[in-house]
Amino acid sequence: MKTLKAGTRLKSAVCDTEVMVIRTRPAAMLLCCGGTEMIAMDGEKLGTVPDEAFAQGTLVGKRYVDEQDATELLCTKGGKGSLSIDGQALAVKQAKALPSSD
Amino acid sequence: MANAGIAPLDGFRVAAGGQGTAGDYARLLLASLGAQVSPAGIFDHEHPALAWKRSGLMDLTGRAEGPPRMCPVPLAACADGVIATLAALAEGFDIGIPSGAALLGVRARHAGLRRNGAASPGGSCRLLRTADGELAINLARPDDWALVPAWLECDATTDWEQIATAIARASGTKLLERARLLGLAAAVSDVPTVEAPPWVRLSAVGTRLPAGGRDPAPLVVDLSSLWAGPLCGHLLHRLGARVVKVESHQREDGARNGPPAFFDLLNAGKASVRLDLATLAGRSQLRQLVARADIVIEASRPRAMRQLGICAEEVVAARPGVTWLSITGHGREEPQAGWIAFGDDAGVAAGLSRILHDTTGERLICADAIGDPLTGTHAALAAWASYLAGGGHLVALSLAGVLGHCVAFDLPASAEALRERNDEWTRVAGCAGACRSTYPAPAARARPIGADTQAVLAELDIRC
Repeated sequence: MKTLKAGTRLKSAVCDTEVMVIRTRPAAMLLCCGGTEMIAMDGEKLGTVPDEAFAQGTLVGKRYVDEQDATELLCTKGGKGSLSIDGQALAVKQAKALPSSD
Repeated sequence: MANAGIAPLDGFRVAAGGQGTAGDYARLLLASLGAQVSPAGIFDHEHPALAWKRSGLMDLTGRAEGPPRMCPVPLAACADGVIATLAALAEGFDIGIPSGAALLGVRARHAGLRRNGAASPGGSCRLLRTADGELAINLARPDDWALVPAWLECDATTDWEQIATAIARASGTKLLERARLLGLAAAVSDVPTVEAPPWVRLSAVGTRLPAGGRDPAPLVVDLSSLWAGPLCGHLLHRLGARVVKVESHQREDGARNGPPAFFDLLNAGKASVRLDLATLAGRSQLRQLVARADIVIEASRPRAMRQLGICAEEVVAARPGVTWLSITGHGREEPQAGWIAFGDDAGVAAGLSRILHDTTGERLICADAIGDPLTGTHAALAAWASYLAGGGHLVALSLAGVLGHCVAFDLPASAEALRERNDEWTRVAGCAGACRSTYPAPAARARPIGADTQAVLAELDIRC
């Protein structure tokens, strides 16, 4: 269990996935990829494979939100595992609307 | 200097005359595409300082309360040169584009934008001080603001003042790296490169048809939004192409919510198709539509197409004669393929703000989304050249590459020479009195979104 913070980067312990926290609630939670808790960017990977229940994969550039829409992660590198918080799978968020001008 | 090897107009003789900077730039572009340039055609020699003033961009550059500023590299003359080149390729057919320079200022005119110093006229881009230099950040999409706390690792950043405070303590390189990870458009204000980068890269990934004798009205499928890509589609339409503009239920062209006259200018005359890309059927329709095209215009990161199950190289290889035009911020290679750019930050990346700082001492954004119209015009030239030559190419342009090419084309060799030129050009512009080109109003309204979906899908025999 960890309390996350906007801007924190984490990586999967069991696949190539990397994420950045976009926003979250100030509470400890269990953020997993492939069913295993995500680790710091300089942490040691486990060398195991994602749990079959959490192996739908992540796509780079996609944003993932929890059911309450309180925590949002940006996938900065895709992998084979899928993301979950406290056992609940995260869902892909809609692409950003385009500006009317830039 | 020109492109990565392929010269599509090899064997073509193109008549392109004209004295002065715009003519020189036109001939440089044609030569880079492999064409033999024969002296003919007439267009007036205009001082590049006057082209800048006439374009309307001088009024859009400088502090709000200060004087309009000269740009001492000939961007407006370059735009005139590209349009002259397109006209030369049209071989006497009037494409009805009177001025490349005026095209650069046309959005600001329709939107009523004004110069605003270190903020872009459109308002979404700011050039801010970092601990070790200056960085442009462009928060163009409303949702980009939601990424700022993560970018700066600071929850309490909700306005420009707070962003400026946070950035002032950080290193530009680190900020840039994090912005890129988040998919934000950012650029460190850097000196321009003296060696011109290639403005286009053509790769032969498919089969070329015999050059000459091609259908004068190719089918263009335009998947792009905003300014650069749609402008390219508009110019191809003026050259005789039939253009189908494609948008999705999930994401319409944001420019539909901007000034209507500007949207009409870029999109009148194109058929409008809307597809539901959240469904398998919609994605299949998109793949079939793209497979029918002679020219595809696409301005997204390469991974966006891959995630829709479309590979540009495969589309070109599948049928002889196809041209795929890719417009990116910084190129299709890794890691640049993942970086986005909008027109204003691309100008900063190309060194324009550094040039303005060297000549004025001020922190300024150059003109209005300058990367967009310059890239859109160059893109039309590259796509049409590929088509005339028989296609079979992946044609790749980036905002950064095109701007870098324009900046390096006639860049003074030293900071002192740059300042001397700036003084001289400012005097030339000052002597000219008020001058501003008009640009013709759009000929018609753009089609409402999706108005032609059924008709186009039926005609091209595209099924669910």
